[in-house]
Amino acid sequence: MEFLNPAALSALYFLPLLLVPYLIKGRTRRLRFSSLLLLRDLSKPSVGRRWGTLRLPPIFFLQFLLLLLLILALGEPVFSVRPTNIAIVLDNSASMQVLEHQESGEKSRFEIAKEKARDLLRSVPTEAKIDLYLISPRFEQFGGKTLGPGEAVPLIAALEPFDLGEPSLDYGKELSRLVEEKGYERVYFLTDHPVRNQGETIKTTFVGRPQKNLAITSFHISRTSFALSHSEARVEVTNFSSEQERIKVLLKGGEKVLSSRTVTVAPRKSVTLSFDRFPAHPYYEAELEGRDALALDNRRFAVSPVSKRLEILGVSPRPKALYSLRSLPGVSLNVISPKAYEESRDEGHSLEIFHYASPALLPKKHALFILPPEKNPLVAIHRALFQPIISDWREPHPLTRYVNFTLFQPPYARSLEPLSFGEAIVQSPEGTLVVALERQGRRYLILGFDPFPYLGRKNLPVSIFTLNILEWFYRQLGGASKGTGEPLDLSALQGGVLVTPKDEKFPVAEGARLFTRTFFQGIYQVNQGGEKNLTTVNFAVNLQDLKESDLMHPVPIDLKEAAEASDSRSFLFSLWPYLLLLSLLLLVLEWFFNPPVTRSSTDGLAAGVRLARPE
Amino acid sequence: MLPAPFTSEFLSRLECLRLQTRKEVLGSRPGSYSSPRRGTSLEFADYRKYSPGDDLRYLDWGIFARSDRLYVKLFREEVDLFAYLFVDASGSMAFPSLQAKFSPACNVALAFAYVVLSNHDHVKLHLLQESPAPLATPFFRGRHRIKGCIDFVSSISPKGPLELAPALGKHLKKVRRPGKAILLSDFLMPVSSYQPGLNLLRAFNLDISVIQVLSRQEIDPPFPRGDLALVDSESGEEMGFQWTERLREQYQEAMERHNRELRSICHQAGIHYSIFVTDQELSKYVLQTLPAIGLFK
Repeated sequence: MEFLNPAALSALYFLPLLLVPYLIKGRTRRLRFSSLLLLRDLSKPSVGRRWGTLRLPPIFFLQFLLLLLLILALGEPVFSVRPTNIAIVLDNSASMQVLEHQESGEKSRFEIAKEKARDLLRSVPTEAKIDLYLISPRFEQFGGKTLGPGEAVPLIAALEPFDLGEPSLDYGKELSRLVEEKGYERVYFLTDHPVRNQGETIKTTFVGRPQKNLAITSFHISRTSFALSHSEARVEVTNFSSEQERIKVLLKGGEKVLSSRTVTVAPRKSVTLSFDRFPAHPYYEAELEGRDALALDNRRFAVSPVSKRLEILGVSPRPKALYSLRSLPGVSLNVISPKAYEESRDEGHSLEIFHYASPALLPKKHALFILPPEKNPLVAIHRALFQPIISDWREPHPLTRYVNFTLFQPPYARSLEPLSFGEAIVQSPEGTLVVALERQGRRYLILGFDPFPYLGRKNLPVSIFTLNILEWFYRQLGGASKGTGEPLDLSALQGGVLVTPKDEKFPVAEGARLFTRTFFQGIYQVNQGGEKNLTTVNFAVNLQDLKESDLMHPVPIDLKEAAEASDSRSFLFSLWPYLLLLSLLLLVLEWFFNPPVTRSSTDGLAAGVRLARPE
Repeated sequence: MLPAPFTSEFLSRLECLRLQTRKEVLGSRPGSYSSPRRGTSLEFADYRKYSPGDDLRYLDWGIFARSDRLYVKLFREEVDLFAYLFVDASGSMAFPSLQAKFSPACNVALAFAYVVLSNHDHVKLHLLQESPAPLATPFFRGRHRIKGCIDFVSSISPKGPLELAPALGKHLKKVRRPGKAILLSDFLMPVSSYQPGLNLLRAFNLDISVIQVLSRQEIDPPFPRGDLALVDSESGEEMGFQWTERLREQYQEAMERHNRELRSICHQAGIHYSIFVTDQELSKYVLQTLPAIGLFK
């Protein structure tokens, strides 16, 4: 038997209070009597206790039983036939790697969840049918088939959590769908998220408790300039705890510590550090020195930019103006028409310049828009301006550095207004002329005037501004870094062997496009060629889901009551109506055996036996 | 105003009653009660030798015919009755309440008084209570004097302890004529306390009747089970008890024994005894029970 409302059973602690009226009743009462003559010889002196002797008539036990039944009824007892069609859903997201202190030592939440799952399996009948589900990378059945309890136990033991965030799911809906479609009598969901609205069919087990955590939330390696070969590392550290933390950040390359920095991070804030002038390595690791609850987000990986050049794809109906960029060292330019852009999938560039053109959707690379048409995804185009005067510019800003805006006078311009958000960098009295914004790690710059052709010294302010623009984009270019769960694009590679951070090896067939098993954080290497001409392409894959690092405030999951499987019998037999009925019968019985005192007897008692006043 | 039980029907039936005595009384006027003196009633008492001057009508000619001796008949004198009603007004008579015990006791006394007054006899009420002077009425005669009796019993509240013999003694000092004494009390006192009282009454040659007045709560105390501290209403003494059903039964047995002893003492002393439980109907008690024991005729 189990209780759906076990909190009500705490009322059992108050049952002994039923003795109180009997103790009060048993108190010594002072009464006047006509004469004690006949009582003298019978006197058995009472011990004079303040509370008298506790006498429990049979009616007390009836009342006790009545109260006990009422409390049990409030606890909503159900007699459950042991379910035989069961689903166990395990949360295998990154936060399940958090270590929890237990009596037997430290264990990860996933280990604890597995133990609880094993305990569950021990309690089900041997003929039960078990389906195992994992939620990452997607909510699906594991193992592909229904298992018996004996088969499920070793399978669960072999499971590991992934370095993945949780998919955006309505768990209530998903679990309810499972119950409806598969007719599960019971679904056990083991997770480190607090759950609201548990029901009869879906039972959740919460593993873990809030803990403080520090995490590296961003790690980026980029060239300081497209004309130079120096690299810069930017590391963002976030403090998810409620206290200020001081932490040492290490920059590693080739398993060696290249540099370190100590930083203090305020609670719930982020701090960004920069490292420069460090030797070149194929890939780098940023690490927090020390240990906290989740080790996974204390490390992050990044690879050096593959190319030293700024590779630009120009999209313009007037390509000639763009060709002038080829005169810049470190710049590689390819120009196509807007129509060709719609059809092409050229992925070899790192910056797209839309010159009097605009894609329908926001490009997935850094992009510069120059006098885009009115139908563009970023800004509204307003009035035309002729030789506008620059009245205001953002300073200090990498885009406006060293530019003498008093001499900056484009012949023609259009004022701009951001459609959603964006930063006004350069303004004239008639409107904004330059808007910059960053979205999902990509930079976009919209110019309301045409700085091309690049004239170098002949138009120094505009040329410096142009170089600032290219520099601004170039600094954002780092090594390719993906989030765990995102596929790796192998289309540029011709065969080879992909080695995962777990040392698993997968052959890369020629023509292969995507590798999807990026479940673990680390460097994925594709080794090509033989021993003598071995080339390695590195991909950095990092956990991108900040919610997994926020251990203080796990997002609660709201489960809605699942509908019972349509063809299953009700396996929960509610006992509370019967307990209530029994209580009512006992109440009648109690009234029958202990009726209210009648008026005459109370009158006699009241009139005949006066309470003596205390002296 | 007469108390509630004294309905007109009850009063008319009381008027038909007459107190019965077992002793001769010394009345002052002609009445219907035998006197030790010789008088002119129709009841033959004795013979006496003829002395010149005796009324020849009272000569017993039969004795003369048989013995040639002259004897005159003597007849009893019938006189009026002097009734003394002693009502216990101690603290125990107020238990459980004035209305539950003392008032019914007074009503019985008033019933007696009315019977006596209806027969043109004399009645005097005495309230037995610790007081500087004995509380008593003068002799009343005539039905209209019942009001005086009512006023008297209404003016006093029962209180305090009572030693029966000394209290009776104070009242008996003023008794000049033997008559009928009716003592109404709960007799919740030791034998050694009430027996001297009864003996005192006997010493004054009174025809004694005893009415023991008890309330239902004294016979069957409605105490709740558990620890009790009972306080004596007269002495203020306090005693603790663990009141149980068994104790209640023992108390009732003790009450039975005590009453039996009282009855026995009364019987041995030639005293009428009756018990009046105050929840009884007064008219039924006075009109049925008391005549049955010979108090009324």
